[in-house]
Amino acid sequence: MRELSLTQRGLGMADLPRPDLVTLAQGGDVQAIGALYDQHHQALFRYIWARVGERQTAEELTGDVFMRMLAALPRYRPSVVPFRAWLFRIAHNLLVDHYRKESGRVALSLQSAEGVSDEGDPVFLVEQKLTVERVHQALAVVDEPQRSVIALRFLSGLSLEETAAVLDKSESAVKALQHRGLATMRRALAHEKVLS
Amino acid sequence: MNDPFDSLQEQLTHLEAGEPLETVGADLPEAEAGLLQMAAALRAVPAPERSLNTVSTQRMELIRAAKSFKILNTLPNTDEVRRLGQPARAQSWWPLALAGGVAAMFACALVVAALAGAVWLWRSSPQPSVAQPHSPAATAVAQASPATVALAAPDPQHAVLAEARGLVEIQSSDGAWAAADAGQTLAAGQRVRTGALSGVSLAFYDGSLARLGPNAEVSVDSLDAQKTGSRVILLSQWSGDSKHDVAHSDDPASRYEVATPSGVGSAKGTSFRVSVTVLLVRFDVDEGVVAVTHLNVTVIVVAGQTTIVPPGEAPQEPVFHISGEGEVTAIGDIWRIGGQTFLTNSSTVVVGDPQVGDWVAVEGRILSDGTRFADRITLLHHSTENQFSFTGTVEVISGTQWTIAGRVVRVDDLTKIDEGIAVGDQVEVQGGIAQDGTWWASSITRTAANGFEFTGVVQSIISDTWTISGISVTVNVSTTIEAGIVVSDVVHVEGEILDDGTWLATSIQKTAENTFDFTGVVISMDPWIVDGVPISVTEQTTIDEGIDIGNRVRVAGRVLADGTWLAESITQLDEGKRHHVEFTARVESIGPAFWVVGGVPVSVTEQTKIDNGIEVGDLVTVKGNLLPDGTVVAKKIRLASPTQGCVETSVVVQTINADQIVLLNGQTIPLDGKAKVKGKVNVASIVIVLACADADGNITIVSITVVYQLDALPPPPPQDNGGQDKDKDKDKHPDCKEGPGRGEGLCKHDDDDDDDD
Repeated sequence: MRELSLTQRGLGMADLPRPDLVTLAQGGDVQAIGALYDQHHQALFRYIWARVGERQTAEELTGDVFMRMLAALPRYRPSVVPFRAWLFRIAHNLLVDHYRKESGRVALSLQSAEGVSDEGDPVFLVEQKLTVERVHQALAVVDEPQRSVIALRFLSGLSLEETAAVLDKSESAVKALQHRGLATMRRALAHEKVLS
Repeated sequence: MNDPFDSLQEQLTHLEAGEPLETVGADLPEAEAGLLQMAAALRAVPAPERSLNTVSTQRMELIRAAKSFKILNTLPNTDEVRRLGQPARAQSWWPLALAGGVAAMFACALVVAALAGAVWLWRSSPQPSVAQPHSPAATAVAQASPATVALAAPDPQHAVLAEARGLVEIQSSDGAWAAADAGQTLAAGQRVRTGALSGVSLAFYDGSLARLGPNAEVSVDSLDAQKTGSRVILLSQWSGDSKHDVAHSDDPASRYEVATPSGVGSAKGTSFRVSVTVLLVRFDVDEGVVAVTHLNVTVIVVAGQTTIVPPGEAPQEPVFHISGEGEVTAIGDIWRIGGQTFLTNSSTVVVGDPQVGDWVAVEGRILSDGTRFADRITLLHHSTENQFSFTGTVEVISGTQWTIAGRVVRVDDLTKIDEGIAVGDQVEVQGGIAQDGTWWASSITRTAANGFEFTGVVQSIISDTWTISGISVTVNVSTTIEAGIVVSDVVHVEGEILDDGTWLATSIQKTAENTFDFTGVVISMDPWIVDGVPISVTEQTTIDEGIDIGNRVRVAGRVLADGTWLAESITQLDEGKRHHVEFTARVESIGPAFWVVGGVPVSVTEQTKIDNGIEVGDLVTVKGNLLPDGTVVAKKIRLASPTQGCVETSVVVQTINADQIVLLNGQTIPLDGKAKVKGKVNVASIVIVLACADADGNITIVSITVVYQLDALPPPPPQDNGGQDKDKDKDKHPDCKEGPGRGEGLCKHDDDDDDDD
């Protein structure tokens, strides 16, 4: 018997636990796929933006992640890796490709003015811009593995386990990388007196 | 806890659980507390707000892509999916015209020998039971090697429609025609037909596959496509072209027959094509052996050969066919294509009005005197020499010249300019480069961000929704629609793709054009699918580098006869700030920083990718960007069309030794390792010789492929019959003339052969 879609069952996305959403998406339910976008696009964008430092590029790459997700969805196995970690792994791989293509160009843009909202309180915007700039500068001084861990753990809010799954590292390795990364960034930012 | 890494993680866990920073870090050493503070500060860093428009667009495009994938995923495997995007040339629907001539060298004795040696068993083929006003007379029977079929019918008594493109209809028992689509099944007694720019495949239970081209009509007369035991597939083809890949059957009683209305033909083979027109019926064999019978005369057609059955006449002796594609360098009674000369006459079908410099495909045959005759010449791409195209912002508009993206282009009365274009508008300019380097615009069109135009066949008109070649198009009160358009008409549609994915038409007109041009998101690149539309590409298609899934692109090209959308260019649009420019012209000078190409100064940098060996006078394609001052900065300079094209010719090997192969047409091919030999070449092998001409017209043999082995060399061809030998029966085996009619006693030796086999 044919599987009913969400609408046919009279259900909304909020009625479903996430594993069901992924299963529905794997079955071709376009509403479920749209719901997955709704659930994850902001966190993915935040991660990518933290890595590339340009809003426009981050916007485009975020869209690319979901297109790749669509193509890979039939091969996703929940028993192997949690869905969110799998999605961020796609994003991570996409960023690796992005940097490979961009090699030889500027590795990390610090034009953070693009990265702030152009609406709201001007005073807040100035402060926001300052913080964003400093964060990107500090991220630029840590090495790539640390940068990935920092972005996943603290800018995107992934758990230790999820981060380890995304980067295909052990949890111990991620603990060490987050410790070193935070220490390096703190030194850089403390120097700029951003946090004090 | 001594490990600082574990300790930090434990504190972070508390923090992530919602405990206040002050509480979690209260008793920590300063350094560790600092790290915790750092982590908390990072979590609080504000991310930029995402553009609602971008989010909305991405979500919509994702869902649109998901729908396309959903459709694709109904197909059982990737092989079938790939077919959707295969280059059209790989599945040519063109009928191959055929005539006598060289065929006379195949005496009937040879035919008998070929039959006796064949693996397949030759059975008489009775008249198919076709309950139609006029019963087809010709029958093709095939029994062959395996054919891969991805979509299989549910049972032996049904065929399933696959690869449906454009307008496909099934006739029910009451005679009414109804639109059909992939996945529908067909049983004995039913007919299927295709419209213009359309095609469909019939997949049978045993794995056999019949592909119908545009304007084809086929009825299923008898169907019991068992995978084991006796298989019976009897079809009647009333019009159009079809291609048949017949699954192997060990049962000698198995039959695969295609009946046609004019004349009687019987065939067997692994892969063959049938073309039915009012003038003649054609059988072309790509693999194995085919026997064609009419008026008690049977001719045997082997791989690489073709024969025709004119109305009321016996099948003509098979001849070798020739096909290929290349640049046109001469037009008239004698054409020169891909470095090879072809005769033409009033029977030659020329599609698309190709001119010198254009790239065409050619199908033809070799006459008895070795002359190549073109039966069909089809335009594939217009010449790109001294042509340019670019997009940019209109800066200045005056009577005879405009400045667009810093570049001055001339306009005149012949320039096609969209109405209402003003300074500041984004436009695309196409035109030609004069000898003095002046750029003359042939068209200046507004580049609507989501504009589209294409040619397709009308499949349905339901209220304000039209389905045109698979594209659902919405019309409203503002849409200009030519009066009298009905289902099956070929129309040209222009419009805009709205944010919600709707293709809103601004105009629908009947047309003889066959072009398309639209923008969309890349959903797949193997095969190419853009905005849900399968796109075919060839080596001639210019594709921007770096395009990836999810990118927005502009696709322009040509709709082929079977409904395939063949792209001429795929241009990335995501980097909208750049002004792409592309043109093809002769190199006039080469300098360290500047080249002059077609009179245009072109800036080259260390980043410019330049083909090796380019010299002054070479034809090159320049791709690059326009700077604000109009300077062309080249990203790539490539040799354009380093060859004039390639042609495949079927021919028999006369002699072979360690040094060379001598063909029956007198041509000698040295075995010096330059030509790739595929298969075991022997005397009397039928081989396909692939020859390519370089830019100077020098011809090189690229490969020699064995497609069939004759038992002996055929006798010399008759002289000067021009391929119109009317006394065909004189060369045939007497047995082949016996038998009362179609399907009976096609050759008296058949039963004996069966026993032998």
